[in-house]
Amino acid sequence: MSTVLDLHSHSEASEDSRAPLEAYLNWLKLRRSERPVDGIVLTEHRQFNKNADYRALEDRFGILVLKASEVETDYGHMLVFGVTDEMTRRFDFADVHLPAQLFIDEIARMGGIVVPCHPGRPHVGLFEHYANRPPLENVVAVEVYNGGSRKGEDERSLELARRFGYRQIGGSDSHLVSLIGLCATRFEAEVRSIEDLVNELKRGAYEPVDFRPRRKPVQPAVAVEVK
Amino acid sequence: MPQSQRKYEDVKVGDALGPQELFLSKEQVRAYARTTGMWVPRFTDDEGARKEGLPGMITPGNMSLALLSKLVTDWLGSSDARLVRVGTTYRQPVLPDHTIILQGFVTHTNDADRTADMDIWIENEEAERLVIGTATVQFGKS
Amino acid sequence: MVDYDPALIGRVFEVTDPVPVTAEMIRDFCRATGETSPLFVDEEAAKRGPYGSIVAPPSFAVTFRNGRQFFEHIPRFGRQGFDAGKDVEFVAPIRPGDKITLSSHVKEIYEKTGRTGSMVFVVVRSTLKNQNDEIVAHVDHRFMNRP
Repeated sequence: MSTVLDLHSHSEASEDSRAPLEAYLNWLKLRRSERPVDGIVLTEHRQFNKNADYRALEDRFGILVLKASEVETDYGHMLVFGVTDEMTRRFDFADVHLPAQLFIDEIARMGGIVVPCHPGRPHVGLFEHYANRPPLENVVAVEVYNGGSRKGEDERSLELARRFGYRQIGGSDSHLVSLIGLCATRFEAEVRSIEDLVNELKRGAYEPVDFRPRRKPVQPAVAVEVK
Repeated sequence: MPQSQRKYEDVKVGDALGPQELFLSKEQVRAYARTTGMWVPRFTDDEGARKEGLPGMITPGNMSLALLSKLVTDWLGSSDARLVRVGTTYRQPVLPDHTIILQGFVTHTNDADRTADMDIWIENEEAERLVIGTATVQFGKS
Repeated sequence: MVDYDPALIGRVFEVTDPVPVTAEMIRDFCRATGETSPLFVDEEAAKRGPYGSIVAPPSFAVTFRNGRQFFEHIPRFGRQGFDAGKDVEFVAPIRPGDKITLSSHVKEIYEKTGRTGSMVFVVVRSTLKNQNDEIVAHVDHRFMNRP
């Protein structure tokens, strides 16, 4: 049985999102036919909400909710799955200049996994840093579909993933209720917990999936001088 | 002018606001800058804006917020509901002399308070979301 | 990490003189935003409406400071400042003839990185009151500075 998870989302716990988790889950239930997502991972910016318990909402909507984090490193933004107390003691997740190589290696040693997100994005993506510095070691996967990408960014992410042989995930990076689940990752195996997810990301079979609608671009209008 | 009499009872999660297509002219942006005391090169003059490292004159964030607020108040029409909260994030400059698309969706309703929350945003011709936000409206007691 | 004096947070750094709101200001604002709702533009229809007269569209509330006149005393970090976003709570309508006073404090300062590099965010909260000392709105201005 396969599992489709949106691996990148921000609820109102992130300073730049106003989306309550309940509204995310309700939206996914309503749009199930367009965005067939079994669960979401909350990757709040620069923090990990150890004590948040979402079981009641998971049960009510029948949608899996897992907790992770999005941190900021000297090689751009990265998702961290399988966060433990040991990790949050070892690193200040609020530090916006975390040392990427050390972070990736230490998180792996402590049982988690770090996945660079939107690598094709200027400044906060891996791609731009690789232009000037040696590539990172021990990167397993990168996010190649990101729901917040501008034109060309996902394409650069894919190019980078192919060049370095990285495995590929997708996530909506949603900060608004109605954008949840637009990009996701399909796992061949069943994923029911954060431990399952870390295991699958390290060793399992998975692929990014894209549910974004293709809107026909609006015909650019011609400027008319107002007299 | 659409003057609906929208009632709380008719509002459902998933309802759409817009889309409204709008050609935002430089003249209109300058008119906004003039009347709100934002007459600075960034919002009025391509050459001056380029000196600040911008691609050309841009629309003030406040004006984007005003257009998105209007999307919501247009949707409310002459009903007894009121816009009580709006929040915006300016992600990319909104360049005038382009067509923008204003759009939103109702994302939550609260029967006890008779409020509705919505997502609202401005897209460009390439379907990139330049400004994103949320709003809350409060309906009168039934 | 960004350095600042923690005593800044929460302290009111500015209370403005009252700014008079005229019917003309509201009319010009409506023209510039393409506003056509009778609540905001039609004196006769507005009289029969819920407010008993023309009121300003809600978003008029953000035009005081960062609009009309910019804050003079907010902490700045580095070179350029940009408006990154707003959170506005509309409490009561603003009417022609009102005199609006703003009282402002720094709510929060934080750092993050984005497409354009490192950024320091300064959140300023302004409370707007009218001549009757009634709160009309709370405006959180999110300013982005590049260090």
